[in-house]
Amino acid sequence: MLKKARIALLALAAGAALTAVAATAPSVAATATAAKPAPASQSPATVPAAPVAVPAAAAPNPVPLLAERSPEYKKPGSTADHGKFKELQKTFKTGPDVTKACLACHTEAGHQVQHTKHWTWAVVNPQNKQNLGKKNVINNYCTSPISNEKDCMACHAGYGWTDGQFDFSKEENVDCLICHDSTGTYRKLPGDAGHPVYERREFPPGSGKFVEAADLTKIAQNVGRPSRRNCGSCHFYGAGGDGTKHGDLDSSLNKPGKYLDVHMDAEGLNFNCSTCHATKGHQVAGSRYQMDAALKGGVHTRGKADESPASCQSCHGNKPHKSKLSLLNDHTEKLACQTCHIPEFARDAIGTEMSWDWSTATKTMAPDGKPILVKDSAGRRSYDSKKGNFVWDSYVIPRYTWFNGKMDYKTLGDKIDPSKVVAINTPGGTAGDPDSRIWPMKVHTGKQAYDPVNKTLIVTHTAGEDETSLWHNFDWKKAIGTGMKAANLPWSGEYGFVSTEMWWPITHMVAPKQDALSCEQCHSDNGRLKGITGVYLPGRDHHRILDLIGGTISLLALLGALIHGGLRCCFIGRKGK
Amino acid sequence: MWKILAGLVFGVAVALFGGYSYFPSLMFTERVSPFGVEETVARIQQNIQASNKGWTLSGLRNAAKPIEKDGGNVLPVLMIEACSTRYSGPILKDDTLRFLSILMPCKISVYKKSDGKVYIGTMNASLIGAMFGSKVGTIMKEVAEDQQSFLKFDPTKPAPKMIEGMPGGGGGGAGAGSAGGC
Repeated sequence: MLKKARIALLALAAGAALTAVAATAPSVAATATAAKPAPASQSPATVPAAPVAVPAAAAPNPVPLLAERSPEYKKPGSTADHGKFKELQKTFKTGPDVTKACLACHTEAGHQVQHTKHWTWAVVNPQNKQNLGKKNVINNYCTSPISNEKDCMACHAGYGWTDGQFDFSKEENVDCLICHDSTGTYRKLPGDAGHPVYERREFPPGSGKFVEAADLTKIAQNVGRPSRRNCGSCHFYGAGGDGTKHGDLDSSLNKPGKYLDVHMDAEGLNFNCSTCHATKGHQVAGSRYQMDAALKGGVHTRGKADESPASCQSCHGNKPHKSKLSLLNDHTEKLACQTCHIPEFARDAIGTEMSWDWSTATKTMAPDGKPILVKDSAGRRSYDSKKGNFVWDSYVIPRYTWFNGKMDYKTLGDKIDPSKVVAINTPGGTAGDPDSRIWPMKVHTGKQAYDPVNKTLIVTHTAGEDETSLWHNFDWKKAIGTGMKAANLPWSGEYGFVSTEMWWPITHMVAPKQDALSCEQCHSDNGRLKGITGVYLPGRDHHRILDLIGGTISLLALLGALIHGGLRCCFIGRKGK
Repeated sequence: MWKILAGLVFGVAVALFGGYSYFPSLMFTERVSPFGVEETVARIQQNIQASNKGWTLSGLRNAAKPIEKDGGNVLPVLMIEACSTRYSGPILKDDTLRFLSILMPCKISVYKKSDGKVYIGTMNASLIGAMFGSKVGTIMKEVAEDQQSFLKFDPTKPAPKMIEGMPGGGGGGAGAGSAGGC
């Protein structure tokens, strides 16, 4: 009996203690037993062993279910049924055959596409006349498409770009279907120079998975407006795998929940990419090469003239918060909307690649000399003999920086300082610049090959089955020789590896408003914006004199109240007598 | 006399307040992991499986998933559930102690915070056990020792694969409960 009573009492005490504890965060923060982080080779990282940009390469079933297809598929309300068009009532053998049929009616479409970045992979920076675009910049992932066109052009809106001799004037080489297929069965694989799969084949080779040949007639008869899947077939899989490149774009956005993107929520607003990236004459708004980081003014009405509609302000205006939250509207002078409303990016199990170290590529092979692929704990690629080491993460807290929408890029042949981390691109903007806002960024780090004599980054011929391809022969010198020759750049014959970083503005995966950053997440000593300079941030920044004055005033006020109260008590006591 | 009484009451109040403030940090521990969320989970799971004291993994629960399903966001929280019949058996056999099944299975929580770091949260099994008499105290002391061994990582070893799809419901916390071990 006594024992039971004792246990009951103890249980009650423990329960009360647990209840008290439940509301309080634990305060002890020790360091885990393992002091050092694992080497990059053992660190987090998905993706097939297959080379380069792989639209939907990771999808085990290449044909999505009807319910997963684009909302435009057979959507009632369209005034045209392409299945009834005479031009499309025939068997198409190649992509260009389909394009010719499209152009028979859409006479200006080919010409329009040929003036877009999706076709040219080139753009001139209006500020400094720098030649940008995929064709001209070096990135922090696969580095450059030059000499690797057969693989990389799986994501070109065209057919047959195999080398520097590609004819950009041929309209029949424009690929209409990559953006307008609504069956979800049109796939382009690395190695085909942008052509779709014409014959059923195993992909990735040796995987046991097969990609069916595209039924071009069926696809041509079922075209529609671009869906999230169309855009995502390239933009979700940039740099060779799902979620690899951007951090805020991956295949989870094909059918996202509200938590992931409040605008694209498949059960809610269900925005397509083109809802924001409004398109006129095939020119897609909202390129990261020509960003406007500090749009001002009211709400723009869709359909009216708008230079850059792919911004939050286009719909929400510059004072988006309701009157009781009007203080937040003052923040729009300093903060991008994304800073508060995208508290983390890669908010799914897919994650995003945070680092790519090329220096370890070719270093570790299987005992039989074949390349190996090692995955991390989450099943993402961690080491690939062809590509080196990777580090992945998900639910990533962004880095914040002032950004005016303009990036300064390293382009082919630019000099670098190998003693420092080479910034592949540098966001422009300062605190005092009225066109700058504090932006969330993904910063991707890595190591890539450079020429220690000429002090330039290097173009490497990675993809292909020829004798000099890195992924075929695993010989860096041969691969660099071919790459630099194709890029028409001088090479000393030497190579090393230099640390690099690349900045990516985060603009997608907008969380529901209740999940936006709270005040104290920035306005505190170790808040999100602790690295931001040039602005006084209450709660983070302290001024000794101001603090002293404030403290003194508070103390005096307290003393005054106490003295006043004390005196009144005394007088009340005396009155009573 | 009243001064002594007032002093006593004041002393008790201070002690209670101190205990109330300090107790939470004793009941639970939190430490920083040198690895990412998935790798931390995988390494702990590996250590649990390597233990020779009857421990089995009984679940991996993702507490963030139901919130995401409801349209909200929280940073990842993965709860590893493990049980050893060697410890659970004696407690569950005793009718006076069966209510302690509410503490089963043992949980180790791995989560990310706004600072971007990954943390490991555990219950102080030793302290909690001591509150329920010597039998439970002895058992829970051993549990606490085992728990500490699960958190020793060897970074030279390659990252193991995270084990999902266990009875606890790796896919989002909607599992039917734990089957393995307890």
